[in-house]
Amino acid sequence: MKNLHLYNIVIVYMLVFVVAILVSGVWLFLLSQGLSNSDVLETLKSVIYTPDPRSLHSFIEVATPHMFAMGTILFVVAHFMLFSTKVSQKFSLIVSLFLFAAALFNISAYLFISFGFFVSGWIKLFSMGLFVVVSVFMLGLVAFSL
Amino acid sequence: MKFLVSKDLEHSSLLANLMGGVIFTLFFYLLLDIVVHGYVVGLDAATVATTLYGNSEEFIEPILIDTLLLQVHIDLFMSLLTIMIVAAIYIRLYNTSMTTRWLVHLLFILGLLSPILLMVAYFSTIGFVYVWLVSFVMGHFLGMMMSLLILKKLFLK
Repeated sequence: MKNLHLYNIVIVYMLVFVVAILVSGVWLFLLSQGLSNSDVLETLKSVIYTPDPRSLHSFIEVATPHMFAMGTILFVVAHFMLFSTKVSQKFSLIVSLFLFAAALFNISAYLFISFGFFVSGWIKLFSMGLFVVVSVFMLGLVAFSL
Repeated sequence: MKFLVSKDLEHSSLLANLMGGVIFTLFFYLLLDIVVHGYVVGLDAATVATTLYGNSEEFIEPILIDTLLLQVHIDLFMSLLTIMIVAAIYIRLYNTSMTTRWLVHLLFILGLLSPILLMVAYFSTIGFVYVWLVSFVMGHFLGMMMSLLILKKLFLK
């Protein structure tokens, strides 16, 4: 295959796009928790102590497109590890599966709050933080493999 | 995307037709995306400014930041998938052309800048509305032009 390096352009821009999607996603979540009326620290505290109540209807409304979008993006990002000669396939597999699990945990975390299993919203913050960290790690692996 | 790159086109008319199908669909997606943004945000500076900043004389409220950010969030996702598919197939078919590298760069930069510029325009001045309009329309037309070039290469040999 000639000019395979041209595909590196696609991969590099994809990494930037995914970071932008992550940033806008976290920003949207914080806005839904009252960021427009207070600063970030206050908003994080309010998520922990008094998370915004959500019905099952609104949970499903948010979860459904995220299941599709996150699943698709994670697949696209992770599949580039198939080309990697610097990172082992076994390690890529472990990180990819962990990333999918973190995404599912992040999407469903609010369900635990909605059904009253958790009064505090720390679980949502933890799951979101975990997902962002693992995502950035995976993006780093793809960038390292270029 | 690996199959888009590795499968030999000369021996697989199925893949060539599949590529044609997805590009044909994405061409109309890009066209309709302009129309959708015309309805939601506006496609001339005055309408976009009214959407973003409101109009006190006509009692029009500015768009909520949550609503705009949700639109930007969705736009980033849709742009990523669309541009990646168009760019991957374009590189595949035009890998010997000198302009391919620059077209792909330009397509990605415009696709990435458009949603970000819309947010910048919301928080700053109307000047960025013009920049957003140019980048949004140019990005979509470039994607459509590259789609047509792909279809030409696939079916009009």
